[in-house]
Amino acid sequence: MKKKNSVFLIITIPAFLLFFIFHSYPALQGIFYSFTDWKGYGDWNFVGLKNYLNVFKDGRAGDAYLFTFKFAIVSTILVNIISLLVAIGLNSKIKFHKTLRAIYFLPYILSILIVGFIFNFIFAHFLPQIGDAFGWEFLTRNILGNPDLAWIGIVIVAVWQAVSFNTILYLAGLVTISEDLYEAASIDGAGVWTKFWKITFPLIAPFFTINMVLSLKNFLMVFDQIVALTGGGPGKSTESISLLIYRGGFEGGEFAYQSANAVIYFIVIIVFSIIQLKFLNKREVEN
Amino acid sequence: MFKKMTAGVMALTLGASLLAGCSSGGADDGKVTLELFSNKVESIDTYKSLIKEFEAQNPDIKIKLDAPPEAETVLKTRLTKNDLPDIMSIAGNATYGELGRAGVLEDFSGIDLTKTVQPSYIDMVNRLVGPEGEGTYGLPYATNANAVIYNKAKFEEHGLEVPATWDEFIASLEKVKAAGDTPIYFTLKDAWTGMIAWNSLGANVAGEDFAEKKNAGEATFVENYDEVADKMATLVQYGHKDNMGVAYGDGNNAFANGKSVFYLQGNWAIPEILKANPEMELGVFPMPVTNDPEQNKLVSGVDVLLAVSEETEHNEEAMKFVEFMMTKETAQKYIDEQKAFSAIEGVYQENPVFEGIKANFETGAITSFPDHYYPAGMGAENLVQEFLIKKDKEKFLKKMDSEWEKVQNR
Amino acid sequence: MNRKKTSWLVTTFLILGSLLILFPLYLTITIAFKTPPEMAGNLLALPKSWSFDNFAKAIEMTNFFNAFKNSAFVTIFVVIFTVLTNSLVSYAIARNLHKKFYKFLYFYFLSAMFIPFPIIMLPLVKQTSSWGMDNLVGLIILYIVFNLSFNVFIYIGYIRAIPVELEEAAIMDGASTWGVFWKVIFPLLAPMNATVAIITSLGAWNDFMLPLVLLSDREMATLPLVQYIFQGQFSTDYNLAFASYLMALAPMIIVYIFAQKWIISGVMKGSIK
Repeated sequence: MKKKNSVFLIITIPAFLLFFIFHSYPALQGIFYSFTDWKGYGDWNFVGLKNYLNVFKDGRAGDAYLFTFKFAIVSTILVNIISLLVAIGLNSKIKFHKTLRAIYFLPYILSILIVGFIFNFIFAHFLPQIGDAFGWEFLTRNILGNPDLAWIGIVIVAVWQAVSFNTILYLAGLVTISEDLYEAASIDGAGVWTKFWKITFPLIAPFFTINMVLSLKNFLMVFDQIVALTGGGPGKSTESISLLIYRGGFEGGEFAYQSANAVIYFIVIIVFSIIQLKFLNKREVEN
Repeated sequence: MFKKMTAGVMALTLGASLLAGCSSGGADDGKVTLELFSNKVESIDTYKSLIKEFEAQNPDIKIKLDAPPEAETVLKTRLTKNDLPDIMSIAGNATYGELGRAGVLEDFSGIDLTKTVQPSYIDMVNRLVGPEGEGTYGLPYATNANAVIYNKAKFEEHGLEVPATWDEFIASLEKVKAAGDTPIYFTLKDAWTGMIAWNSLGANVAGEDFAEKKNAGEATFVENYDEVADKMATLVQYGHKDNMGVAYGDGNNAFANGKSVFYLQGNWAIPEILKANPEMELGVFPMPVTNDPEQNKLVSGVDVLLAVSEETEHNEEAMKFVEFMMTKETAQKYIDEQKAFSAIEGVYQENPVFEGIKANFETGAITSFPDHYYPAGMGAENLVQEFLIKKDKEKFLKKMDSEWEKVQNR
Repeated sequence: MNRKKTSWLVTTFLILGSLLILFPLYLTITIAFKTPPEMAGNLLALPKSWSFDNFAKAIEMTNFFNAFKNSAFVTIFVVIFTVLTNSLVSYAIARNLHKKFYKFLYFYFLSAMFIPFPIIMLPLVKQTSSWGMDNLVGLIILYIVFNLSFNVFIYIGYIRAIPVELEEAAIMDGASTWGVFWKVIFPLLAPMNATVAIITSLGAWNDFMLPLVLLSDREMATLPLVQYIFQGQFSTDYNLAFASYLMALAPMIIVYIFAQKWIISGVMKGSIK
């Protein structure tokens, strides 16, 4: 038995070390530099909490947080509603079941960046052409050029892409529900709505929880879509936190400052995830 | 099922190792490979042909050109990684200043090549580095002109004359607009294109030394840029219906296809416009910013300077390439193809397109780009873009001041 | 559910919805075959002729085959080593979860899932390049290591459902821990391995951010990164750009068309456990 233990240690210790070296150590370094004035090269000094205080006073960072959260929350909700509907549709008795399922899953395999470039063209050229042809004034301008609407363009692309994966997860949950349950409910005179809330939803609640948490986390890190669509513009209206850290940290020579921003971002994400898990778990239990 | 998978995995591994095998081969044939980093997408073809010529003359040197988007972010990333390209062809702006101060570029002070460059441009790049670094870390190569480009055919059609004052300029814009045509084609989806007008206005209205004064606490955007902001807001009224939705590339195409009379761009856009419509007849004039023609100077800066990494293992070869670039013949070829101006003495841009700004170069009625002296990372172009959408002047100017100070304080 | 009648209403809605998914791809394909003058007309029209000129030009300009080779190289190695190592680590943790160290490891890897990449990005770039890892091999190592946190989570759930008796029988027959894992457990993990392989390969093939910050040598650029690098040079030649996008998307689409059933069920199985 002793030998067996050492084998397990031989397996896990290198994994732990590698993970520590390439994941935790950089994270710790980031925290360390956040208390300095390092530009990413050259000399540095300790500056205490100055960077943190500056982040709180920084309007640009504040806007990036607002945009990122607005984007992430709206996208998470939309993705989960749409993919739940699609999954229910795919799970009912339909024609072309396999083909449709394959089509709905297709976006998951595509590169987000390239999808973004394609949509960029659609927003800049195709939709205005449609707008002109039908005289729809609101479509004749590129929505990515409008600071009040550009974020919606990004939501559209993000949702288009993310629905696929979440649909499959919901579908996986739905196929486990026995048909007998629905039949029993029908005999009791339950309608479609009641069946959904009394049977379907409680049974796929764990999937709902995991989908919500994972989608929100992914959307909070939004980067590729923005690089491909707006580059953070117009103005700074679609600058996400990831983009700000990348741009400011490298181009702006604000390595230390953006590290402080990253640490704050991390804390915010942790707090958000915990709240979300608590909230969703509670409703699962209640149901 | 599992057996099948194993077989598949084996086949893939085999394939991958074959691929890996061929990727590692062929590297060691006695040639020195240098990396040339360029921040200009427009000059890729020119560089490619120049590189070909250079490689023919120097068969043991190979030059690899890299011109990525968001070049300055990429370059700063590489600085952080301590992995600068061997040769850099970049603009004389704040990023260059920072690289100079970081001590990662070869100091050219006093070498013979610097003597072939017009001294005023050497001064311009030295000023970017400032007293902290003191030195010439880049050789000014090509210079540019921030101007108004116009479509000659349309210009005549509307019966216009080259304006010498702001009022005349606005009058011609008004005339075009009244005739139902589009006066200016804006491409503000790309924030930097808004800086063309901004720089002409800023340099002539707020003065060339604004940045120095601002750093000394003697000037602010709120006090000195009020008129600039007003005039910017006036100009966008003469745009097309989707000023904010069109990007630079699409704008070049649209202008080449006669979608507007004027185009606020630099000389660098001209090759791109002509690519889209080789037959087009273009004219250029400096934007008349004030009502005193004497005061209206052309904004011109160091568009390209050549720098060599301090740490390159192939300094000798890199300098060979720089010397090749700096010869009069190469410099002439570069500016002819790029429709640019040369920083090298005795190399002139003779293209008739530039008739309208030739006098400025001859009489020295030239001033530098104000935004090249803004602190890097301030993101001025996005703020200007935002202002052009929201038109909230007071708030915008205050934000310009506070962002500047914020970045300086980090 | 089979006893029910086919719902044409739902079918119709789903078909309409699927058009929204197929439309951008239709546009990509047709534009990739068109010529610039055709772009002035109706964007929905089919190209006048199906010529491969745009593709030939894009292949030459972006050095497509080199990028394809890089992407394939990274993806293949990441998938193989992720499946082999991550399953092994998960097994070691799963069978020792009652011990403090392994329990700590489990939560350590798990909690990393919630650390956003931008936080480690700046120091990681610095660190990897100073260790000479800013290349494809470095990229592969980072993917394999970073994949641990998600994969440990999904493998462990599955492994704990495998009865220990199976292993004990093998040990009685004289198998070592290694033998038990490779001969008994690993084959049993086949469905989960498939899931991990699919998710990992899509992640590695399509990732943009890590190659962007890590690779500075353009010869090493992966397919998505190449599309980004050439944005400026495509400029307004959308036909060229879309031909290039299509070629970058095509390998995965082709794999998907043939293995679609297997891929979907792989992902579904992974999510039930």
